Amino acid sequence: MLVTVVSTLVVVVSLVALVGQAVRGSRTVDAQLGARAVRDATIDDAFYACIDTQVHSLVGPGRTVALGGDNLADVVTMLKGFGAWVTVADPASTADVVLTLHDGPAAPGTCLGTRVIGTYRGPDGRTTVRVGTGAQVAGQGPPPAPPL
Amino acid sequence: MTTVLATAAAIAALAAAGALPVVAGVGLRWVSVTLAPLAGAVLAALSATASLTFGGTLLSWFVGLAALAAACAFGLWVVRPDLGPRRAAPGAAGGAVHRLMGVVGFLAVVGACAWSLRGLRSPTVGFDARALWVMRPGWFLQSHAHLLVDLKARGLVLTQSAYPPLVSASAAVAWKLTDVHTARLGVTTVAVLNGCALASAALALVECGRGMAGRVARAWVPMVAGIVAAVLLVVVAAGVTEPFLSNGYADPLWSLAAVGAVAFGLQLRDDPSARAATVVLILVAGTTKDEGLVTAIALVVLVAARSIGLAGLRGAWHRWAAPAVVAGCELAVLAWWPVMMRVIGARGASSTFTSDTDLSHRADATVHGMSPYLHVLVLAVPLAVVGGLVLSGVRRRGGVGHDLWAWVALSTGLTAVGAVLVASTSPIGPWILSTVHRITEYPILQGWWIIGVWAVVAAAGLGGSRPDAPASAPTDDVEEHGPGPTPVGDPVGVVG
Repeated sequence: MLVTVVSTLVVVVSLVALVGQAVRGSRTVDAQLGARAVRDATIDDAFYACIDTQVHSLVGPGRTVALGGDNLADVVTMLKGFGAWVTVADPASTADVVLTLHDGPAAPGTCLGTRVIGTYRGPDGRTTVRVGTGAQVAGQGPPPAPPL
Repeated sequence: MTTVLATAAAIAALAAAGALPVVAGVGLRWVSVTLAPLAGAVLAALSATASLTFGGTLLSWFVGLAALAAACAFGLWVVRPDLGPRRAAPGAAGGAVHRLMGVVGFLAVVGACAWSLRGLRSPTVGFDARALWVMRPGWFLQSHAHLLVDLKARGLVLTQSAYPPLVSASAAVAWKLTDVHTARLGVTTVAVLNGCALASAALALVECGRGMAGRVARAWVPMVAGIVAAVLLVVVAAGVTEPFLSNGYADPLWSLAAVGAVAFGLQLRDDPSARAATVVLILVAGTTKDEGLVTAIALVVLVAARSIGLAGLRGAWHRWAAPAVVAGCELAVLAWWPVMMRVIGARGASSTFTSDTDLSHRADATVHGMSPYLHVLVLAVPLAVVGGLVLSGVRRRGGVGHDLWAWVALSTGLTAVGAVLVASTSPIGPWILSTVHRITEYPILQGWWIIGVWAVVAAAGLGGSRPDAPASAPTDDVEEHGPGPTPVGDPVGVVG
């Protein structure tokens, strides 16, 4: 008798709790599909694709790079944009190209106002600076921060 | 190739690599379907580690290790035909209804998992995913020399690049096989692996209900309860782990795999099939993230302790030798990547620890940071106490492992993660704010699984005892362990 009563109680309590939490869980998942979440994700994706394309215009096959600048956030942004495929030089001073980001106002040819800059040092010690091309995203950055 | 097609191809390749070793260990069970891609992902992680250790390309190692695993599986079947894929489950006594419930449970769980991954319709790539998890696959596809530079160069700043390789290695296999090198493919591949881990953990509830069916007069009661609890737990888990379930983070994968390992290794009846499933899930958890590694090591010890038991310690050497060897092999596999990170001097491979004076402040911040996320314990603890006091007989007769095992596993994982937060030097406030909701996923999910198991046990209590059922079934309870009579009504197999 006691087993039946307690079993009934445990089944009811646990199922009610599971159903309640499942409803909450379902709403949490649905929130990922909201218009704002989708828009933010699309902008985020476009921004990093833009950075990636600009770097492709600056770094030829087989060339080594260094991630320049002293801003940690910029280094992370560069890793997110093209860290998967660039060949990193070690030590950095031996790099063929030093890549940096330049944040400015929204303008044509920029990724939400950001441009990738490539600095090349020639054999004679002279440096050349080039600006990344090939993609742009209108608007002012930074892109909306995804959840951490 | 579209992302959907590329994801399907990648998961099919991982499943093909993992299928034979899983079938050799687990048998032809429904859970083998969801474990196969996970075993393939473990092979991908081992391939990345082998590539780093010995050189050679990731894909060569992946194909080689998959072939080796397949050869071992065939070798096992030649030497031990009784362990063939169609072997019956211990004490299998399944009828048509029992098998039907297996099919229904599998389809319901897989359907719920697929529905729970609908967040993938949003093209989100998480911050850490883009910065690490689905960026690092490119490193694994570079030459050995450049992989070393990527992992060691101090200028790259990212200390998390020393994290275990499973997520990135699986994405690297996906990139290489499909030639689609996008962060999005990495995210979708990881999301499907998350779904596989979630389904595996939920299917343990289905098997729990089916395993208890032979012990009760109305066998359908625990079986239906197992299916209902499993489906609900899938939706609950999706809520706990979103948005990270579908945006490429590694936290859901190790958390869900660890919960599945507890379910198969410490909750279901201790048989070779469940033990093999446990090995796969432990290796997934431990090769995915540092927190998963710590938890996996604890689970290896707990599962070995359960397998050996007090009777094993008192018995002949062969009673404890096999579990000890399995545990030793698991620990060796888990240790391979972190040892390599130290050997090569990778960024983030070594940790620094805080001074004693900070400990109380950090411990206080950790406890207060974690507490709001652990409200499930407010329900799970009293439910477990009531269940333990009144329903432990039902649980024991049904062959379900003692509840204390799950609680020890929960506490160990929580303590391990908390101890890292307390003991390291990173500023505790920002760290808690940015990670606590992810690193508490495992104890939260474990709490809900404990509730789910008690729901199934209580349903068996409502099913009434079968008059011809033995007084007790063998279990590996914390207090009781022994050979006991042959289990009755544990037809977990598809081919029962």
